Amino acid sequence: MTGLNPLTWCAWALAAIAAALVERSPYLQLLLLAILLTVWIAARHDRSIGYWRAVLALGLLPILFSLVFSRFGTHVLFRLPKDLPVIGGAWTLEAALYGASTGAALLLAMLVFAVAQSTLRTADLLAVLPRPLYRLGTLVALALALVPQALASLQAVSDTRRLRGLRSGWRTALGLLLPVLLTTLERALQYAESLDARGFGSQRRTRYRPSRWGLADGLVLLGATVTLAATILAPSGYDPYLQLAPTLPQTALIGLLVPLSFPAWLLAASRRHALDHV
Amino acid sequence: MPLITFERLTFRYPETEQPVIADFSATIDPGHVILVRGPSGSGKSTLLRCLNGLVPHSSGGHFSGRVVVDGLDTRTTPPRQLGAHVGFVFQHPDAQFVLEDVESELAFGLENVGLPRPLMRKRVEEVLDQVGIAGLRHRAIRTLSGGERQRVAIAATLVTHPSVLALDEPTSQLDPQAAEDVLHVLARLVGELGLTVVIAEHRVERIAPFVDRVFTLTAPGAPIADASPRVALGGGGARPPIVDLAVRAGWDPIPITLGEARRAAADLRATLGQAAMADRDSPRPSTAEVAGAAFSYNGTPALRDASLRLHGGEITVLMGRNGSGKTTLLKVLAGLLSPLRGHVTRQGTVAYVPQDADTLLYAPTVREEVKDHPGSMLPLGVADWLHRYPRDLSTGERQRVAIAAAAGRADVVLLDEPTRGLDPDAKRSLAAYLRVRADAGASILIATHDVEWAARAADRVALMSEGAIYAEGAPRTVLTDSLVFATQVNKLLGKGWLLPDEVPLPSPG
Repeated sequence: MTGLNPLTWCAWALAAIAAALVERSPYLQLLLLAILLTVWIAARHDRSIGYWRAVLALGLLPILFSLVFSRFGTHVLFRLPKDLPVIGGAWTLEAALYGASTGAALLLAMLVFAVAQSTLRTADLLAVLPRPLYRLGTLVALALALVPQALASLQAVSDTRRLRGLRSGWRTALGLLLPVLLTTLERALQYAESLDARGFGSQRRTRYRPSRWGLADGLVLLGATVTLAATILAPSGYDPYLQLAPTLPQTALIGLLVPLSFPAWLLAASRRHALDHV
Repeated sequence: MPLITFERLTFRYPETEQPVIADFSATIDPGHVILVRGPSGSGKSTLLRCLNGLVPHSSGGHFSGRVVVDGLDTRTTPPRQLGAHVGFVFQHPDAQFVLEDVESELAFGLENVGLPRPLMRKRVEEVLDQVGIAGLRHRAIRTLSGGERQRVAIAATLVTHPSVLALDEPTSQLDPQAAEDVLHVLARLVGELGLTVVIAEHRVERIAPFVDRVFTLTAPGAPIADASPRVALGGGGARPPIVDLAVRAGWDPIPITLGEARRAAADLRATLGQAAMADRDSPRPSTAEVAGAAFSYNGTPALRDASLRLHGGEITVLMGRNGSGKTTLLKVLAGLLSPLRGHVTRQGTVAYVPQDADTLLYAPTVREEVKDHPGSMLPLGVADWLHRYPRDLSTGERQRVAIAAAAGRADVVLLDEPTRGLDPDAKRSLAAYLRVRADAGASILIATHDVEWAARAADRVALMSEGAIYAEGAPRTVLTDSLVFATQVNKLLGKGWLLPDEVPLPSPG
């Protein structure tokens, strides 16, 4: 179990998402990737990212988009005849790099979600929401429960379609998505009914496993605040259309991202502590 | 004073003309167990959902009359307030889980009613023992089998000590032994806590012994009969096997438990001979085969050395407890999973209908779904719904459309729990349809927990345990003299008799 308070994880995720989306220097993106992976490994969850293919596609898509639709830049990779619609003209390195930069930002953001998903449990999220917002709590619980179910029924639908002799090419994507969407919606309705039937939001809740605040929470919160402030006040930019080679970011900025890795060190330390006392 | 009062209840769903429930009045006393029975689509779920206010608060529609539960009027009390008084177990256990692990799930309802922590601990421990799931407490819910999930769902409802427990076909997914266990737990709670139970259930024979009254629904909007179990079960509609035998034999009073039936059947048992072992004609060549298959999910073995052969024109039924590998074997045969060891051969087209048949349905009308079906005969009442939108049908009806859509043409038909949620008439019609498909040459393999249905439908029965087949043969050899897999009539009479309508009876009088 991860020893940090769920609200601490929420604050950490907020700072990490901001950094992932704002910091565009490739050097900082590499640093952020290293930090997120460290936390991911330290949190030691049993879940692997089962949907890594979708995540990777999300990262590659911007490159393709940028390449196909942008005709700016001077470093030409190759040219297609001008009279071809959309894809005609010069394909440039700048466009590819710009797409890659955006894709990397999206990938990092997904990684933050993956870490948060493995450290935050639905129970914790429901518990930290104040009672007047219980409808919001229903929504959060729904989203967390139904996304994995939707992915599972996507698999089931494509399996059964295959057996009915229907080819599963991209043309059939709509035919595939519709039953998944319908099944997910029906489940969502039933799930919301179940929450109601089990008295969710009927009165002030108590907690079976209360979350506690410790020194570690303070440190992580402090680190997240520092990073968030640095990200907002001094964002690092990278625009391949202006200058192809990225410049090194200021050393101070590197230092201000490092506090995001606090959870990893604290978790590792508490695990060692626990082992020493066995 | 009654605990539940229905007062001239009439309800119709939005955008429909016909009421589902019309002018229904009844009272239920504390500590009573009420069985709600009737064909699928007759309004059983609707009646149950009136108890905790999901009808009309969540459903919408036109609601007149009154339902009062524990002194609360369901029109003015929202479902989340009624939740503390009415525990509700839904038809699909999966959709009612909120949290990740079993223990948190059990505590969820207690947190919602704001119990102090020491009391929560005590209640959770109690219910773990009451339902017999102490071994599962630290497990993640997504790793549980269907039967385990259903027991957790029931425990999660019982833990708040509701004054009424409403269950919508709670054992429809369980193997016979697990269902027996759950129903025993229910019986004990009724006895010890004075719990009032309203339960919709097709497998009447399981709960008949401790039911006080039976509400019989015949069709949407039709009058609901309220009678004692003896009168209700002996009367019209589908009868449990023992009651069916009793009515045929003219026993009076009608026995509703196996014990009562044993006493009534003493004479019959003494005079009855051995049932003939009429084996069907020698099997045709095999059309699909698994040999020595092994498979595991992330290191957890599901199949070890499983071998099974399917023959054209033959209906094979696969039985075994939850988690014994039935679904995995079907998927391996279908080619959805590749075995780690062993090999699979198939001839012709394969159709596989999973437990959750909804994933098969995506066309805007039933007609579109079954358009591949050989025109002349549409099975199972499907012909009546051709213009309907598949997802508006009830669970049991959808199941039948999915089976017709997938199995209409295939040479090898693999069905996972096809009788789940079907009423007795629909089950009979499914058996008849599969016989027609088999006579046309198809090989059919069905995984099911339904012993009575298997005895009626199967040419061959295979029993599975721990990922391997351990017994195989004609129903009369496999489904007899077993504690778990024997039919009711076999438990009563022995000597190879399986079904009430095949027992030769002395002419009455």
